[in-house]
Amino acid sequence: MAIAKAERLMNLALCLLGTRRPLSKRELRDSIEAYVEAGRVTGSRLDTAADEAFNRMFERDKDDLRELGLVIETVENIDGEVGYLARRDSNRLPPITLDAEEAAALGLAAKVWQQARLAGAASGALQKLRAAGLPEDVDPYEAHSALEPRIPVHEAAFEPLMLACRDRRPVLFDYRKATAARPEPRNVEPWALECWRGHWYLAGYDRDRGAERVFRLSRITGRVRVRGTGFTAPVPDVVTVRETVAGWAGETADRSARIRLRSGAGYPLRARATAVRELDGGWDELEIPYGHGLDAWLVEFGPDVVVVEPAELRADVVDRLRAVARG
Amino acid sequence: MAGKPVRPVNAIDQTRRMLSLVTYLRERPGARIADVARAFGITEDELVSDLDVLPMCGTSFRGGDLLDIDTDGERIWWHNPAALGEEAAEPLRLAADEATALLVAARAVTTLPGLRESDRQALLRATAKVETAAGEAAGASARLSVTFESEGGVFADVDRAISERRRLWIRYYSPARDEITEREIDPIRLVSVGHTYVEAWCRRSEARRTFRLDRVAEIKILDDPSTPPEIELRDLSEALVQPAAEDPEVVIEVGPGGRWVAEYYPHDSAEELPGGGLRITLRTPDPASLRRLALRLGGDGRIVSPPDLADSARSAAAGALAAYDTPAEPSR
Repeated sequence: MAIAKAERLMNLALCLLGTRRPLSKRELRDSIEAYVEAGRVTGSRLDTAADEAFNRMFERDKDDLRELGLVIETVENIDGEVGYLARRDSNRLPPITLDAEEAAALGLAAKVWQQARLAGAASGALQKLRAAGLPEDVDPYEAHSALEPRIPVHEAAFEPLMLACRDRRPVLFDYRKATAARPEPRNVEPWALECWRGHWYLAGYDRDRGAERVFRLSRITGRVRVRGTGFTAPVPDVVTVRETVAGWAGETADRSARIRLRSGAGYPLRARATAVRELDGGWDELEIPYGHGLDAWLVEFGPDVVVVEPAELRADVVDRLRAVARG
Repeated sequence: MAGKPVRPVNAIDQTRRMLSLVTYLRERPGARIADVARAFGITEDELVSDLDVLPMCGTSFRGGDLLDIDTDGERIWWHNPAALGEEAAEPLRLAADEATALLVAARAVTTLPGLRESDRQALLRATAKVETAAGEAAGASARLSVTFESEGGVFADVDRAISERRRLWIRYYSPARDEITEREIDPIRLVSVGHTYVEAWCRRSEARRTFRLDRVAEIKILDDPSTPPEIELRDLSEALVQPAAEDPEVVIEVGPGGRWVAEYYPHDSAEELPGGGLRITLRTPDPASLRRLALRLGGDGRIVSPPDLADSARSAAAGALAAYDTPAEPSR
């Protein structure tokens, strides 16, 4: 039976961590049962195919161990032979002391990811801290708070983009703008991902447009492909995804509008009003912030809203109502 | 990294767990399985599967000692802790992904307005310590961020009502009907999935309901005890509102400007139409609630069926136009 991958990785990690001198590839191959076994399955150890298979497996295993945080050094000895080791100095967690309250707070935070890779990484972090003496047995959240924060990640594009942001690698993906029928290819240097109101957005430098752009992950169609290495544009110190998205959502109002609203209707409009005045005949007059998208929102309230001014907003609302009335 | 086949997540997660496990077990001879599983946030079965692998592992090459770890089903014994060597047993530094996952989540949780101040302070202290311990690995965590939204005052009242097991009175806004209703609810839990919601037993509808906190217009904690019936908690990782199979069907046709409907409304199908539009079929327990959508779409879409819903949108628009002294154009 093939030896489980976790066993192979664990043995490689322990060998590299336990040695004081670099171990050659041959030494590792001879001493880890899973590599010996793999050679036997493929045939003779002298067989070049078996060598290649081992090399590929060994490279992948090193990548996987690096992925979980192991710093593996490649050292050449005087005979020109390459050896590997994981030095304690570069792999040791610096001393960290957390009290019971801090430990409980981190415990709550580690549970919020609903994405496999990040959920695994967060528990991995907590387990390392646990091994370093993070206090246990106190969970004040279970005792007195009913809060269950969750970070949703439903978009397939999330993981490749997260890795591309982390490794600063340009990406290529098909993106369908909100109002476009067909997706278009976009060439992007990804800077940061942000989750706002339950949706994920990517901010980055759009190479074809030569400018910063924000993308909504749910509008990315197909696969995200990594394209080469290196960014051509400088990465800003502060990336402002939220302001851009708020602008799309019409939340950056720069003017104000006056509307009439039927008494008792339109609670969200009232909640935003800067002034409310009662009129006769079951109507109120409201001052509300006027930004992008207000016309569509007002139309939702049908005959319960009448725009007084500005004339431009009044005309937009009338146009929309006419379109609906025509059916 | 592109084009890499499906990641063997389990092997990597299990390896990182086992590396922490050996450090942990070395300090605790005879540790109880139940305690270790809890400390590591895993099931006892997962722990036992790790304990099956560990005796096949060791630090030395060419026939050195393997880890002699075994269990009697209740406690874990390690008979040769020296086999690991003093150095190989030290806690390992955090990987970039680990630091990112923990720090981004911790920063997000500190933005929850309803978090107790003492808990927020503890989390801020812990975050700073983890940042320091993670060192360089913490750098990439700035490339990911999450903000929870919730209404501070409402949140605090709901949280208090849950911990004191008391009933709540709320005035709640329903956008579908543009109306505010008064309800008494027995709160069960708070959930943050983008927006923050309270899941509760609604005494008015005698059913489990989910209320979005930013739609609570007014809230009071009552003196009555909260007595929600024993109900099974749902997994809320998917959409909070799932239409039922028996709900009536609604068909909407939208132009390119109305394609967003397919993003916001869970639907059964969305067929492409010539010219960049979509024909969207969805189910809802209350089709009348979609009148708002029809009005909002304006010229970007229309309700195809049911016909009475389409009529109600048309007459609402005609009624609204009357107030502008502009007669609706006659239907073609």
